[in-house]
Amino acid sequence: MQTQTQETYRTGKEVKVRVETLTKCYDDLLVLDNISFDIYHGEMLCIVGPTGCGKTTFLNCLSRFIPMTEGDILVDGTPADPTRHNIAFVFQEPSAIPWLTVEDNIRFGLRIKRTDPKTIEDLVERMLDLVGLRRYRKCFPKQLSASMEQRVVIARNFAINPDLLLMDEPYGQLDVKLRYYLEDELIRIWKEVGSTVLFITHNIEEAVYLAERILILSPKPSTIKEEVLVDLPRPRQFDAPEFVKIRDYVTECIKWW
Amino acid sequence: MQPRKIKTKVMSVLAPLASATIFLLLWQAASMIVSSQALPSPATVFKEAIRMFSIKIGGNSIWMHVFYSMRRVLIAYFWAGLLGLPLGMYMGWNRTFDKIVKPVFELLRPIPPIAWIPIAILWLGIGESPKIFICFVGSFVIFVLNSYIGMRYVDSLLIDAARAFGASKRQQLFNVAIPASLPSVFAGVQNALSTAWMCVLAAEMVGAREGVGFLILQGMDLNKPAMILVGMALIGLIGAILAVMLRLLEKGLCPWRKELV
Amino acid sequence: MAQRAGVKIQCRGISKSFTAQKDVLHVLEDVSLAVYENEFLVILGPGQGGKTTLLNIIGGLLMPDAGDVLLDGKPIEGPGPDRGIVFQQYALFPWKTVEENVAFALTMAGVQKGERMAAAHHYIDLVGLKGFEKAYPAQLSGGMKQRVGIARAYTANPEILLMDEPFGALDAQTRYAMEKDILSIWQKELRTVVFVTNNIEEAIYLGDRVVVMSAMPGKVKSSYVIDTPRPRNYTDPKFLEIRKMISNDTDLVL
Repeated sequence: MQTQTQETYRTGKEVKVRVETLTKCYDDLLVLDNISFDIYHGEMLCIVGPTGCGKTTFLNCLSRFIPMTEGDILVDGTPADPTRHNIAFVFQEPSAIPWLTVEDNIRFGLRIKRTDPKTIEDLVERMLDLVGLRRYRKCFPKQLSASMEQRVVIARNFAINPDLLLMDEPYGQLDVKLRYYLEDELIRIWKEVGSTVLFITHNIEEAVYLAERILILSPKPSTIKEEVLVDLPRPRQFDAPEFVKIRDYVTECIKWW
Repeated sequence: MQPRKIKTKVMSVLAPLASATIFLLLWQAASMIVSSQALPSPATVFKEAIRMFSIKIGGNSIWMHVFYSMRRVLIAYFWAGLLGLPLGMYMGWNRTFDKIVKPVFELLRPIPPIAWIPIAILWLGIGESPKIFICFVGSFVIFVLNSYIGMRYVDSLLIDAARAFGASKRQQLFNVAIPASLPSVFAGVQNALSTAWMCVLAAEMVGAREGVGFLILQGMDLNKPAMILVGMALIGLIGAILAVMLRLLEKGLCPWRKELV
Repeated sequence: MAQRAGVKIQCRGISKSFTAQKDVLHVLEDVSLAVYENEFLVILGPGQGGKTTLLNIIGGLLMPDAGDVLLDGKPIEGPGPDRGIVFQQYALFPWKTVEENVAFALTMAGVQKGERMAAAHHYIDLVGLKGFEKAYPAQLSGGMKQRVGIARAYTANPEILLMDEPFGALDAQTRYAMEKDILSIWQKELRTVVFVTNNIEEAIYLGDRVVVMSAMPGKVKSSYVIDTPRPRNYTDPKFLEIRKMISNDTDLVL
């Protein structure tokens, strides 16, 4: 069920990241089973799954924190390599560097990449505006609320325009109004910077709100069960019939497994 | 994945063996570079150990010496626990009491057990008492500190839950605060025993004629480094065995703590 | 449909402030509301809006700076087993088994072992944890731990259940399952419930009535009666309409 066919979606798009036959076993326990998918350049891809679908293991394999039993991840056609490729990560818990101010946090990633100072300053200013934290630029993370701290982390990650930005339910259980606000902000930054984003969540409504494309994971041993295209104009409305239709469809898919 | 399991099991046996072997080899190498008077080789120490186990030193077999030391440590440890645990817990529970006692305790705490030797001799002579007293001082401080921290940092959410379900102040203390502070208390129980055992050497510098510390001092007097090393090794070994025993005890008493498994 | 039976709880002019370092935080300002007998009342507000403080005051864990709370006409002076609390962070005693946790209030009240275990087992069964009586909290998932919290509150045999964002620490899908379960449990054993949340969907799904609170200083903004018959459907047009209406009424707190 899609409003756009899968072929037309893929026309004209280049593959930025390719995950091939990703498999992960712990001794006898098969957690991830032969997962293969592509992420297109500048795409906002969401992955949803039921509770207990091995999401953490999946993320750890993609970000190379743990080795895969089988399979590989290719960025721009070559195997992912920390010295050449940038895979950035936004965790569920805010991970701003506590001893740096907001603006220094944003500078941090850029300095590591050895960008030239003029570009760094421009980017920092741009990011501060995009996340609306200009007023707080000299504040330290502990002076901010959790949601603000998370926005600093997101700004920092987008500033370096990574090859792949992995986001693991960064908005957790914030109240819905705040969450929509932050999701709108995320879309704004994403459109502006054009990074390739893989957003993982258990929250189906969030996935439908953000994604251009949704991949649905099965319970363990996890595979990609289905792909759903979300071809709705932005900003999306949670009560629009088309939105509800897609949300219900994804919910049903997950329920039946 | 059977081969994987076998590999981990083999590694967990091989790794300690490997490190022990490397340690012994390094020791052997060091003893060959430095004079054998200063650092006897592992083989020499081992031979000395066998010799010491088969004779009497100062009128007592090694087992007796170990017994004497253990007796001092355990008596000191028992009293330190009996007095230190309730004191620390009450300091952690009752803020007013804490404010009164804390300053005194903070002044006494940094004084190392060794520094207590002269005054111990003055007060208690040179029999068993000063030795027990030194071990007592060392372990008492640990007991108080750990039980204090355990009690002081009990999650206030748990106390709220207890209050919400009708627990009186006394019930809160005995049913919630004390069990919640157990992990810290146990850390104290283990540290206090190690500390008391480490103090035994200092303690036995006070006119001892038996004990593991005495063996070391004898080794020094007779200019037999091998004997000193055997004494040290004994202290280390017994200390390790005591620690393991306590850990097993904790595992048995606290079945809900999966991080101990 | 909420039975407009008698008023069970009456909050009158509650104000509360806290001092943190040099700032004074006015958490609640002149909050008055009524809770009717056996209704499922939801208090909805943004994060840091004082909802938890209000719940703690009703629960007797905190005293208000001004105003009071009447339970059946009598002022509340402190905590008690007549009000059972379910905490967001579970607050289970890790050294006790599930059944010991659940029976806690009865143990404190000195009830005999046989009797209190029978009560505990009844509620452990009701929340769907039969078979886990001797397990320890560390062995349970988040959703299961919260079920223990709910069973524990029920076992105290309270007239009122106070729930402080009980599903806030769970992921979206577990949360939906728990919402369904708490309704079925409540419908089997009716009590007066005051349920605090920051999640609008949850509020509409669960509540007979939803009271919307503002951001700090917390005041009552409005009250909505939800008379859609249960079980409700999150994507039903009427549900979404109510959701939109309430969403426009809530404050955004950054």
